[in-house]
Amino acid sequence: MEKDINNSKDNYELISEKRTKRRTMYKTIDTIMRGLFKLSGLISALMIVLIILFVTIKGLTVFLPSYENPVDLGNFLTGMRWRADQQDYGVLFIIINTILSSFLAALIAFPLAVLSALMITKIAPKRLSGVLTTIVELLAAVPSVVYGVFASGVITSLVDNIASFFNYTTFGGNSMLAVVLLLAIMIYPTITSMAVVAINAVPESHELGSLALGASRTQTNFKVVLSSAKSGIFAGLILGLGRAYGEATAVSMVAGNAFVGPTWNPFGITRTLTSTMLSGMHETAGVDYDIRFSVGIILMIVILINNFLVNYIKRRIESGE
Amino acid sequence: MTRRRIINDKIKEALTWLSSGISAFVLIAIVVFIFSRGWETLNWDLLTTGYNSENLMADFVHVDMNEFSEFEKPSNLKDDAVFSSKYGIAFVDGIDANKETYTKVVYLDESSPLQDGKITTAGPRQGEQLALHEGLYLQKISYLDEAGDKKSAGQMSPEGKEASELVAILDNQSVEIVDFYAQTEGGGLRGSIITTLILIGITLVIALPLGIFAAIYLNELAPKNKLTSAIRSSIELLSGVPSIIFGLMGMTMLFPITQLFGIDGQSITLGAMTLAVILLPVIIRQTEEALINVPNGMRMASLSLGATEFQTIYKVVVPNALPGILTATLLSISRIIGESAALIFTVGTAITDNPAWNAKGTSLAVHIYTVMGGEQPNFELASAISIVILTIVLILNVSVKVITYYMTKEKDEPAKA
Amino acid sequence: MSENNNTQFETAFEVRDLDLYYDTFQALKKINMDIPLNQVTAFIGPSGCGKSTFIRCFNRMNDLIEDCRIEGEIFHHGVEIHDKSVDVVQLRTEVGMVFQQPNPFSMSVYDNVAYGLRCQGVKDKNILDEVVETSLKQAAIWDEVKDHLNRNAMKLSGGQQQRLCIARAISLKPEVILMDEPTSALDPIATTKIEDLITELKKTYTIIIVTHSMSQAARISDRTAFFLLGEVIEYDETDVIFHNPADSRTEDYVTGKFG
Repeated sequence: MEKDINNSKDNYELISEKRTKRRTMYKTIDTIMRGLFKLSGLISALMIVLIILFVTIKGLTVFLPSYENPVDLGNFLTGMRWRADQQDYGVLFIIINTILSSFLAALIAFPLAVLSALMITKIAPKRLSGVLTTIVELLAAVPSVVYGVFASGVITSLVDNIASFFNYTTFGGNSMLAVVLLLAIMIYPTITSMAVVAINAVPESHELGSLALGASRTQTNFKVVLSSAKSGIFAGLILGLGRAYGEATAVSMVAGNAFVGPTWNPFGITRTLTSTMLSGMHETAGVDYDIRFSVGIILMIVILINNFLVNYIKRRIESGE
Repeated sequence: MTRRRIINDKIKEALTWLSSGISAFVLIAIVVFIFSRGWETLNWDLLTTGYNSENLMADFVHVDMNEFSEFEKPSNLKDDAVFSSKYGIAFVDGIDANKETYTKVVYLDESSPLQDGKITTAGPRQGEQLALHEGLYLQKISYLDEAGDKKSAGQMSPEGKEASELVAILDNQSVEIVDFYAQTEGGGLRGSIITTLILIGITLVIALPLGIFAAIYLNELAPKNKLTSAIRSSIELLSGVPSIIFGLMGMTMLFPITQLFGIDGQSITLGAMTLAVILLPVIIRQTEEALINVPNGMRMASLSLGATEFQTIYKVVVPNALPGILTATLLSISRIIGESAALIFTVGTAITDNPAWNAKGTSLAVHIYTVMGGEQPNFELASAISIVILTIVLILNVSVKVITYYMTKEKDEPAKA
Repeated sequence: MSENNNTQFETAFEVRDLDLYYDTFQALKKINMDIPLNQVTAFIGPSGCGKSTFIRCFNRMNDLIEDCRIEGEIFHHGVEIHDKSVDVVQLRTEVGMVFQQPNPFSMSVYDNVAYGLRCQGVKDKNILDEVVETSLKQAAIWDEVKDHLNRNAMKLSGGQQQRLCIARAISLKPEVILMDEPTSALDPIATTKIEDLITELKKTYTIIIVTHSMSQAARISDRTAFFLLGEVIEYDETDVIFHNPADSRTEDYVTGKFG
């Protein structure tokens, strides 16, 4: 192994010709792989466009005159009855049901989530805060269908008991209230974890400033920390609401699928956009199959408008300061 | 501080404790409910047997019963079991979910003559040895009486529908057992477990390269321009789409692709492709986070040594980002196991015992949906499957935490000068 | 190709009217400079004067920075390095670089040194073994690591890591080694070792070094350029720069009036 440097340099020169050839090959591989990476990025980005495109096109076909039994678009958008057996597809009450139950769920979950986030970030001792974070993460990781089992086993009987206390009868507990409670549980971890991130991003100087002015810890938390973190907390609310509108499996297990609506009675059965899409999964063709895509368009529009509105409100609140 | 202010503070603080308490309570309630309803049902057989029960017929070669002395009744037999001292077997009566009576074997002595049956049912198991073992549901058993006539007893015969009656016939009238017809216990999860595994496999094969490549493009190659930020926000948007919409997408957009493989209708492959799209944002985000953490000095060093950009990515950047990619994979598996809505549309809700990549099936999560959807929701089975799912999801999430912990620990270690 | 008649030495690089912009900010202004072959050239100047930016021009590492625009020419043996015919990957094998922070790869010592060759497609174990050994010897780190060639390079001390990075750079037998403040992250003992090493290496290689420490430049370099706000104020033999500078700003800087 003890060769001098010059010798090894000669040795090294020998492979130089091969090196040029190899380098050309490596350059080609480099170009191909860069292309592949870029293609993957573009495909991933295109997905959202393709999804909207395909679902929309398929969802619109049932309204076209060329369709075998075209559905009346006006009736679809304004109808208050959904009777697939009578070819009566009115989606308006379903939209109202979906928005109503999601809003009520957010009304319950939002304060709980924000307070829990405050607890995790500012109030709880380190250990407890770790435990609470784990609880929130676990709640977020529980699959929708397991929530569904829990809801049809526990929430429905809870609702049934509440209803009988008020002298109401329910369809085995399947009701709007059950949907609301279920959704509240399901969106709670989403809002909480976003709120935790937002609160953690508040610079400490804000807090110190407030404390220095003689505010108590709690006052500082509620007045300064929460208001500095509010745009992030609102982002969590958007995400939570989006999840509530789109939640399918669990909701369909306790909604009860009412034929008419909107449902105002919390103990009455309801029907949401997602439970409609999941009901009667036996068809593989025909109007009942295709109309799901139309409901899918409505769901996407509802989520879009929601995001837009909440963003708008958020901006109003921020500029109001 | 004024008293009012103190009270005000205390109330607010109490509210934060209360709301955290509620979340803990809900989690405990879910776990307690699932375990209390499902724990009894959950056992190894449930995980390893098929959903549809198997029909088995077996006959016995001539056995001389004089060789056997009386069998002793085992002491640990339950009270409702009826024991045949002649054949060393015990049965119980019961009523199944479909409200029909059954006779189930609960004990078979090791040296019983009923150990040596041979399967006569056509199929791959024909000729295999089969004992009238524990867990089988006896439909019919044929015996020779003292006159040498072949007679039968059991659920499908006029006699011996009850365990006590059956045992009385066997002990007092039979000389020799000729054959039996029994069914295995159905309702098992084997098919759905295999379906879930196939789904995980195909999904990861599609989603991991696509997601990792896209993340590499965004973090390593993409210029900082409008197109790149458009790509980013499109992928971000994808993570806000509800899974049921992905299901619809699978039905219209991806279905024609599976048709190219000659698949007609819903299939595991269609479900896997749909899941791959769902997972893209998760994988891209996790991988990118890992790529960002690779020190830039390493890239510079590699390039300054005359490596091409691909060589740099392949030899230096990706190996350093592997823990992050592993995290992405574990999170993806967790998501696949929990996903239901998109799969209901794309893989179907029919439980199968023989899953194949080009056929319908149910993942464990959809299995729950199916057994909850009937006239009589089967809470016990649904909860048992929920225990399985929750356990796997818990393990995966803990693993992710552990990996992340070690990753950050390594980074925080001060560099020795 | 040289149009500068004042050149009394063989050149490794000839820089002509080089301007460099980050977006709209001009980081280097009309730089003209001949870098001598097989000598040590040092760039000094206060932070943000453009010396680090300039050294990265020689192996075109500035290509990696977006919004970075270069005008002017750099000739390397008569070839303009920004020319389309120049393969930047090839250029970087001829012009090695050592960075401010030691940046070994998270792999074994052996793999670190063999990395460059393997990227060229060299698979022959004998050649790799030999090059790893000679490179580590030349970088004066062989004795410290010869028994742990399979150890992860991240486990070495900072000074060892930096010498490993030098070994890695010379494994490709480059003609030029660029060093961007190679000792700024090291303690004094490790710094001394690196400086000794540089003095040793200049017999075989052309070295361009950016340094923050004027004493270092005085100790190890043959020629020194003083940078200020993106301009070369003065470029001459090191002795002249430190003892008899032509420009008063150079004098102020080397005598420590500002820094």
